[in-house]
Amino acid sequence: MSGRRILHVDMDAFFASVELLRHPELAGRPVVVGGGGDRGVVAAASYEARVFGVRSAMATARARRLCPDLVVVPPDHAHYAGISARIMACCSEFTPLVEPLALDEAFLDVSGAGRLFGTDRELATELRRRLHEREGLWSSVGVASTKLVAKLASEAAKPLPGSDAPQDGVCVVEPADELRFLQDRPAADLWGVGPVTGDRLRALGVDTVADLAVFPLDALVSHLGPAVGRQLHDLANGRDDRPVVADLEVKSISQEETFARDRTSLSELDPELVRMAERVARRARRRDLEGRTVHLKLRWADFVTTTRSRTLDEPTADGLVVARTARELLQGLPVERGVRLLGVGISALVPAGGATQLRLDLGGSASQSADRSAALRAADRVRERFGESAIAPVVPPPTDPRG
Amino acid sequence: MKFRCERDVLTEALSAASRAASPKAQLRVLSGLRFDLRGDQLVVTGSDLELTISSTVEVAGSEDGTAVLPAKLVTEIVRHLEPGAVEIETSAERSRVSSGRSEFTLLPIPADEFPTPPEIEGEQVTIQAADFAEGLRQVVGAASTDESRKVLTGVLLAAETDGLRMVATDSYRLAFREFPGSSVLQAGQRVNVPSRALQELTRSLDPEAELEITLADTMVSFRFGGFVLSSWLIRDEFPDYAKLIPTDMPNELTVDRQVFLDAIRRVKLMARNNSPIRLEMQDQAVRLSAQNPEDGEAVEDVDAKFVGSELTVAFNPEYLIDGLEVVPGDEVVLQTRDPQKPAVIRPTESQDLLYLLMPVRVS
Repeated sequence: MSGRRILHVDMDAFFASVELLRHPELAGRPVVVGGGGDRGVVAAASYEARVFGVRSAMATARARRLCPDLVVVPPDHAHYAGISARIMACCSEFTPLVEPLALDEAFLDVSGAGRLFGTDRELATELRRRLHEREGLWSSVGVASTKLVAKLASEAAKPLPGSDAPQDGVCVVEPADELRFLQDRPAADLWGVGPVTGDRLRALGVDTVADLAVFPLDALVSHLGPAVGRQLHDLANGRDDRPVVADLEVKSISQEETFARDRTSLSELDPELVRMAERVARRARRRDLEGRTVHLKLRWADFVTTTRSRTLDEPTADGLVVARTARELLQGLPVERGVRLLGVGISALVPAGGATQLRLDLGGSASQSADRSAALRAADRVRERFGESAIAPVVPPPTDPRG
Repeated sequence: MKFRCERDVLTEALSAASRAASPKAQLRVLSGLRFDLRGDQLVVTGSDLELTISSTVEVAGSEDGTAVLPAKLVTEIVRHLEPGAVEIETSAERSRVSSGRSEFTLLPIPADEFPTPPEIEGEQVTIQAADFAEGLRQVVGAASTDESRKVLTGVLLAAETDGLRMVATDSYRLAFREFPGSSVLQAGQRVNVPSRALQELTRSLDPEAELEITLADTMVSFRFGGFVLSSWLIRDEFPDYAKLIPTDMPNELTVDRQVFLDAIRRVKLMARNNSPIRLEMQDQAVRLSAQNPEDGEAVEDVDAKFVGSELTVAFNPEYLIDGLEVVPGDEVVLQTRDPQKPAVIRPTESQDLLYLLMPVRVS
């Protein structure tokens, strides 16, 4: 399959780096994220910790022996998942074909994206730059014509523990160079080679990919079985036509906007917030989804980003509810510092009209009744026919908390 | 200020008071505990401005005084010391906590910024703590934790003609407890007490004690032994709960409480992501089921007596469990009307307790 360009992006020490953002006081110290206690295991290690030989999946107790000053931070998966969703959203700005492999890595099929973003290297650099600008996290990116080589290339682009040598974090392997790139690697680097297969290959005298590439296919099949044998033979010869399969399941719906001029008051921000909440809710309704968690994102004049979220009692696709929640999240934030960008979103999406926890009629609360939901859909149809301004959301103005 | 005190006595006083301290408060002094020593009497106070808890203990005092020490730290230090006497000595510059060969020096927080709990003047009644504590335990879990609707974060204490009532609701369920013949309040009086204060009260309350309740217009205080808890009241009008309590309940299921609870807990394992469990009520049994598209499904039949017409109602299993846990007795009654109307859990014997819960509508 010539012409295909696959990009693999892998966040650098993801969990540990995320924790460092939350705990700047730990910067420069050897940090691992993982379980403490006698049986805890390291989930991720900062590069400072790796210098001591600390690796992920190592027992925390052993890591402590290797590095007595080690700081162990307990994992917070909900937080990482939130950031991961934004990372994937950022990737999908380059191509709709994004296949997440884990919270911190994804394949992108960028075959058609070159025209917009320039060369592979320029595109990869731009992706890394955006991820860093938005999330404060560095990543390593590999680009090649197959998933196999792209993944190995991002590995090659990783920072080396303890090395201060400048790394641009991008490794592009041109089609003509792919076989050479593969050949000298240990066969164990290939997809599907675990410890058992690795041992069998070594027993056959196969150490490197080059050894494997020239090993007779028949012999390989008889030793490893037809499926594995054939697959390894293909991979070793640079043949890997597995496509990037986009994860079509929507994880979150959000809207963000950078203002031409920084906003410095709640009254300036409120109309924007209401408008964005309504658009987010409408996109959810169009997909027949409702979200339980409302997110608010602010980027300040100094480019520092603040995010807030709140999980509701019941999922919603009602712009009024999204706006009200986002407004509550906005309360108490120092908007006078100057807001450069505002974002509103919902996540924890579920199909609309599923199970609904009913409420007692206490009066005064926003009703999530079938009536309101039907009214919202009717309004959507009116807007589709008569334009955006035909019906505008009315949200009660914010009450001054001091008043 | 200088005194000595047994570690365990001091630990208890400090942990009680520190539950009202707020470590994340903007006002740093609120993350501290105030120590007031007069003679041999030490009063330890923690406050987050809304809730104040103080604990009085007898110590061997040698120098009167007042100091504020970081709540979490000083409580943890005292808790971890070797058993035996603890000595605390404070001056303007530093505080010393010591016991045996351990010695901690803490930087004090200026004491003059610590809020003085207002004096509460008002109606005072003394009751046996046991009943009151039981009632609180039964209703307080139904109060809301959503600060955006403050009025529901409290427990209503209401004096009706036939006795005291406690009511709490988060709008999905409502717990109601009545104490016939008991009057804590003046006739017709209704107060809405923050559930957080009551939760702390039930934690510390000794059921054997006599509980003294003082009620003013805007505050309430509870006192027993050396323990005083005071809190602001919630001013907003509590919703009219009486009209929510259904009278016409044609379907009635009577079931062994523990067997039902165990079955719900098992079936709930398949009800992930807030998905409901279904109760299919039939003549001699109730069938519990739950499913989710990712994992599969669970079904369990529980023997029961059922009067009424067969129906299926879905509930949030957590709310069912909460209700079944607070209702006393070996058997419980679950009353229903239809799959979208409130259901009621109540004991078989008495009418004093009622737990109302809303179903989940399933398509």
